Amino acid sequence: MSPPQLPLRFFRWFCHPKLRDSIEGDLMELYKERLIKNGKLKADAHFIKDVLLLFRPGIIRPTEGYQNLNSYGMYKNYFITAWRNVIRKKSSAAINVFGLTLGISCALIIFALVNYHLSFDNFHTDADRIYRFVTEEHRDEVEYDASVPPPFGKFFREDYTFSDQVARLYTGDNELITIERIGEKNKFNETIAFAEPDFFKIFNFPLSTGNPETILVEPNTAIITKKMAAKYFGDESAIGKVIRLNSKIDFTVSGVLQDLPVNSDIQTEIYFSYSTMKQYNEWAASDDAWGGITSSIKTYTKLKPGVNPTDVEQAVDEYVKRFRPKSKNVHHYKLQPLNDVHFNARYEGVMSKTTIWILSLVGVLLVLTASLNFINLTTAQAINRSKEVGVRKSLGGARGQLFWQFTIETGLVVLVATVLALAFSYAILPQLNSFLNTNISINLFTDTRLLLFVLALIVVVTGLSGAYPGIVLSGFKPVLALKGKLSGKQTGSFNIRRALIVTQFSISQILLLGLIVMFFQMRYFSKTDMGFDTDAIIMMPVGSNDEKLKTVKSQLLQVPGVENVSLCFGAPASDNHWTTSIKFDDRAETEPFSISHKGADEDYLSTFSLEIIAGRNLTPSDTVREFLVNENLLSQLNLASPEEILGKNITVNGSWKGPVVGVVKDFHEQSFHADIKPVFLTTSGNTYNSIAVKINMRNANETLTSIEKVWSGMYPDLIYKYDFLDDQIASFYQTEQQMVSIVYIFASIALIIGALGLYGLVSFMAVQKTKEIGIRKVLGGDVVQILWIFGKEFTALVVVAFLIAAPVGWLVMTEWLSNYAFKVDISLWMFALELFIIALVVLVTVGYRSLKAVVANPVESLRSE
Amino acid sequence: MKKYQLGEFEEIVMLTIAILYKEAYGVAIKNEIESRLKRNVSMGAMHTALVRLEDKGYIRSHDGEPTEERMGRPKKYFQVTALGKRAMEYSRETRNALWGAIPDVSPNVKFS
Repeated sequence: MSPPQLPLRFFRWFCHPKLRDSIEGDLMELYKERLIKNGKLKADAHFIKDVLLLFRPGIIRPTEGYQNLNSYGMYKNYFITAWRNVIRKKSSAAINVFGLTLGISCALIIFALVNYHLSFDNFHTDADRIYRFVTEEHRDEVEYDASVPPPFGKFFREDYTFSDQVARLYTGDNELITIERIGEKNKFNETIAFAEPDFFKIFNFPLSTGNPETILVEPNTAIITKKMAAKYFGDESAIGKVIRLNSKIDFTVSGVLQDLPVNSDIQTEIYFSYSTMKQYNEWAASDDAWGGITSSIKTYTKLKPGVNPTDVEQAVDEYVKRFRPKSKNVHHYKLQPLNDVHFNARYEGVMSKTTIWILSLVGVLLVLTASLNFINLTTAQAINRSKEVGVRKSLGGARGQLFWQFTIETGLVVLVATVLALAFSYAILPQLNSFLNTNISINLFTDTRLLLFVLALIVVVTGLSGAYPGIVLSGFKPVLALKGKLSGKQTGSFNIRRALIVTQFSISQILLLGLIVMFFQMRYFSKTDMGFDTDAIIMMPVGSNDEKLKTVKSQLLQVPGVENVSLCFGAPASDNHWTTSIKFDDRAETEPFSISHKGADEDYLSTFSLEIIAGRNLTPSDTVREFLVNENLLSQLNLASPEEILGKNITVNGSWKGPVVGVVKDFHEQSFHADIKPVFLTTSGNTYNSIAVKINMRNANETLTSIEKVWSGMYPDLIYKYDFLDDQIASFYQTEQQMVSIVYIFASIALIIGALGLYGLVSFMAVQKTKEIGIRKVLGGDVVQILWIFGKEFTALVVVAFLIAAPVGWLVMTEWLSNYAFKVDISLWMFALELFIIALVVLVTVGYRSLKAVVANPVESLRSE
Repeated sequence: MKKYQLGEFEEIVMLTIAILYKEAYGVAIKNEIESRLKRNVSMGAMHTALVRLEDKGYIRSHDGEPTEERMGRPKKYFQVTALGKRAMEYSRETRNALWGAIPDVSPNVKFS
């Protein structure tokens, strides 16, 4: 006889599996008793009642399944085991964490840097409709200019309906600002801008006080940022105050801007009404200035929704026919999207997308090497965990569980490394920012993208570093593991490890090679003769059309220590260019190349030690009477010898005409990025912008003080400011210098991580070969021979890595050098030097550990078997 | 703070387990309580109490041999642990202390 099935099945379903058997036994026993005593009906009824009363908490099984009850204990055990392992193997744990920290720090910093650059000017409303007008200048070659002729913006606004707004922005550096406050005159050197009112409708730079509809509409009004307002007027309200520009034009402040966001290429903090431009620069303000382009004026527009930029570009082609019908320099006006402005080097972009990709790639590679390193070290230590794996497996641990155990352990190490890396990045960020001239911030709690990146990084690095060791460790055969008879095969293939090391070393070698080539290219810059003297020359900027210049010059010449003074447009090589076109002799056509114009007086050649190879120097004059040209012009004009040009006339831009009286030896007129181009020098007195002073460095300080006295005597209103020419020239290569330092840091980090990995491999080999070394020594092998067991292994690895790295490095660096018109050749000895450095690192890393293994007493290694 | 947590019914179950000593399993405990205290004990109430006592560490259990009258299910025997014994003693002492504290002047206190 059996009890009713339905309640029994119900009971079996709900009851906790641990209690089921014993309670069911009790139920059966009672049922049988009652069956005999009371009969089936009553026994059944009792049975049902019992089952129903058993349906209560404590008896009912937990919904999540009772297996899980135990897991927390298991997890706890994982943590304990992980911790014990760290404590027991302090050095290898430290190496692991250190390597990962380095890799992750680099990834974090690079991410912040890339994120920072990608965020430039992305906060403007309808940023996808904002464009800048740029020009392609088609002559013999195409040149690119990030500006259009000054009146372009005005005409475009009146002639076409493509845009919601058009705005011109004139930016000027180093302008003199005077603020009169409580009877006191304060002078400042500032970057200023003239802006059309629409500028602030296109761009999202909100006002803090002032009416957005009327700002900059009236002539002689200005708006400044909060920061500037505080600098000039302290706590007082800036509204209604007067700012004086270049001691002659007064502006009344009509609005205050919120401080500008750091991630914008527009960082000017003082804006004047564009309608006042005429008083500042008549040419730039005129409606006829279609003849040239100044990089100071940028023209922005916000197109109407749905307008195709190509249509606009085709429409404005009409301007070329209308305003420049005869020019040999054929303009093509283009629209450059705002999100391209920061990145397009062709149009003054500061950070090319290529650099960003290369940086990201370097970041990925560094994280990868750090992970490979971790794998190497962990699998090398795997043998130490074999007993643990054996015990866990014997007690029923499944492979999957063990895999996750080791993955979690890796995850913990990665987590610690990430926290350290965050702290580290945070700590070095200020230095990095001042060094790179950036405003990067790392804030995990406000920057969700960074937070997501960090989380993703933890997961990816854990996956990369943890998966393989997890598979190897969890794959141990329990019997072999417990007997301690694991061979190399089970602890992860040696070949995989070799492959990892080769990858790591290829990466470090590519970076190192890049560093070497960059280093020598930089040395080339500083050591190669520019073709003129750069030492002990100071450059002082002055206003143009300055009648006092000649007096200043004669006063400066009387200062003891001053050797030479020249009034000129600029140094032979400078950031300031003035290019134009010429007609030669009686040729009918304008020459198809552009030529650089350098205004200079008769002392220019002696001040900069430029060499005349034919003819004579310029004679003193205030206006254009005669010309000096460089050798390059001869070849451009297809003239064989200097004599063919002497005495011939050249006509500049249809206005200046005069004979060529001398030929100057070629000098570098720009940085080494650019080829040497045709140049002429002439006494165009109204273009003089600078005073160049050659001084004797022996009493430099006294001389400089005396020069300052002369300066402030002549220009009481101006700020005394000078630069050494060689500093100016060095600043041409600031980007390269930064690049070299960054690559230097990354190459070092890659090398350090690589060395750590190597140390892991050699430790592994040493452990594996203990017996072999012992036997060899007993049989009479000498130390050098045995060392070579290690030596040949690592020589082979380095050579293979080199064979991979050399061609890749060569390709990348050839590409990089192609940016320079003047460059070093990548020669064999650079590769040799690179190999030598790597060999040195390997020797230091491997040498100690292998020597320790080799000199060990064979008795120790052979005693236990 | 309560040192030992022991409900009234739980105490009865523990005492019964102690009485039955080596023979304390589900049905036996139930029958013992029912015969001594003349009250009905449901399977549900008793097993819940047993689970709770075991969780508290006052009793421990081990499986016996499966028998035929239980249709092959093993008996689960219970035993009072040292902790359980202390809990029982504590409970008894508190009661005794309370009894001892009843003053002599009121011998006719009625308990109803």
